Amino acid sequence: MLILLLTSIMLITIDLRGNALLDGARSGFDYAFRPFEIAAEVVTKPVERVWSGVTEVDDLKRENEILREQLDQQRADQIANQNALAENQELRALLNLDSLADLDKVPCSSIGVSGSNDLQVVEVDCGTTDGVRTGMPVINQAGLVGKITRAYPETSVVMLVTDLSYHVEVKVVSEEAAEEEEPPPSTSPTGFPLDSLPDIADDLSSTTTTTTTTTPPFFVSSTTTSTTSPITTTTPALPGVVPGSGVVPGDITGTPTSSTSSTSTTTTTTLKPVTRETGVLDGYGEGSLPRVRLIDSSLQFGEAKVGDQVLTTGGRTSQAPPNIPVGVVANIIEVPGVAGNQLEVQPSADIGRLNFLMVLLYQPSTELGGG
Amino acid sequence: MFAALWHSSLPRVVPLGMILLAIQKTLFVNLQPFGVIVQVVLAFAASAGVVGGPERGAIAGFVLGLIFDLSSGSPLGSTSIAMGMAGYLAGWLDVIRIDTTWWLAAIFVGGASAVGEFLVPTIRRFVGEENAFTPDLATVVPVVAVSASILSLVLVPLARWALQIEPPVWKAPRE
Repeated sequence: MLILLLTSIMLITIDLRGNALLDGARSGFDYAFRPFEIAAEVVTKPVERVWSGVTEVDDLKRENEILREQLDQQRADQIANQNALAENQELRALLNLDSLADLDKVPCSSIGVSGSNDLQVVEVDCGTTDGVRTGMPVINQAGLVGKITRAYPETSVVMLVTDLSYHVEVKVVSEEAAEEEEPPPSTSPTGFPLDSLPDIADDLSSTTTTTTTTTPPFFVSSTTTSTTSPITTTTPALPGVVPGSGVVPGDITGTPTSSTSSTSTTTTTTLKPVTRETGVLDGYGEGSLPRVRLIDSSLQFGEAKVGDQVLTTGGRTSQAPPNIPVGVVANIIEVPGVAGNQLEVQPSADIGRLNFLMVLLYQPSTELGGG
Repeated sequence: MFAALWHSSLPRVVPLGMILLAIQKTLFVNLQPFGVIVQVVLAFAASAGVVGGPERGAIAGFVLGLIFDLSSGSPLGSTSIAMGMAGYLAGWLDVIRIDTTWWLAAIFVGGASAVGEFLVPTIRRFVGEENAFTPDLATVVPVVAVSASILSLVLVPLARWALQIEPPVWKAPRE
């Protein structure tokens, strides 16, 4: 037993450090095991159907009714969303920002799931011959599903966002900005209420008077600023809006434009401010929702709320490109101390029912060199 | 040790383990009692221990664990420890009792499977996973244990065939 224990520990160590021989063994085993899996699928299908017929009929009927209602609601949303998407893409093209549409995708089908209660992985029918590599993010129509952890010539293993080992950098986008639109508030170019302007003005060496005309949520608003400042000022100079602080107004629709002032009147066009905070999303295993940690309440972000959107941040070291929908905040877990609250996230993708998936041909810099 | 095993039981244990793993990954992924995947391969490793003793059980568990790791993408050797330990523990039944009964075998298979299932997150914790222990472990372990006990009715004879062990036969002494 001791020999076996030591052998196992040695194998774990070698495998965790990465070994081409063991990867080859896995690939070979995958080929050898495939016929067993296909045969078992064929043989057990009737049993599964009987079991499903007995246990799931009532649930399916109920779910069908709910889905029909949701479908009716979403038909209306779809039209608005398509319009918003087109505008978003136009704006991104204007600003030369990367978009998911720029990335190549490989369509895959889920062909198997892990037989373990601890591992949250699925197997898909695309591999290195299709350009799939370790670390690439996997999505479906709803949002982020996971990432490739093993890539073989014909198949790949996808670690789901619910796996204990899954971590990805995300941002939480507050919907508060959208709610503020009715009635249209008077705001400064950075989204600060006019009430706070005296304080802000103290920090600036100029006197600013602002009137704002706000268009519907998430669209461009036009702001007219009159200033007596003899020098040029820019909006990031306002307190709390430090570039790279993680609180970037206008992130969804684009970057905030700086306002340049002359000695007389300057007209500035700025984007609708949308606040956000960044954190790390960790999987918490089957039956538990993933959580976002390192979230900190800030003046700009305020308290995170149930229903806030969670999207990937992107960035040089991120596991995924920016702005992939991950889910919505389902619960807020208050954690004492300085670490900040944790947010439970309901994934957009139905992790329990994955069928068709897309592998984004985007390899994070942290995974370069992986097979 | 391994060479001897190759000539005896490995050619049977490996394909049988692959068949059971295929069943676990297809049938029992959809048919989950209380939301738990029944661990057929783990139960088979424990059953091998019941019929073959601690040493054979541990080796069979080790091999079955390697098969599971190769298939699931988990670090190679991590499940081998869990299944090897399950086979080893269940094998003590063979030491303490020569002619076992079906219900005693079921209890030992269930108990050893519970230990094996609990070891999986423990090992994941040791390899650096922070949140390896989840609250649903309290459901997973008992369900795996009970299902393994039930499956032992089928798996113990299968393990006996795979390890080529004849059931003990009591003969009356000649007069």
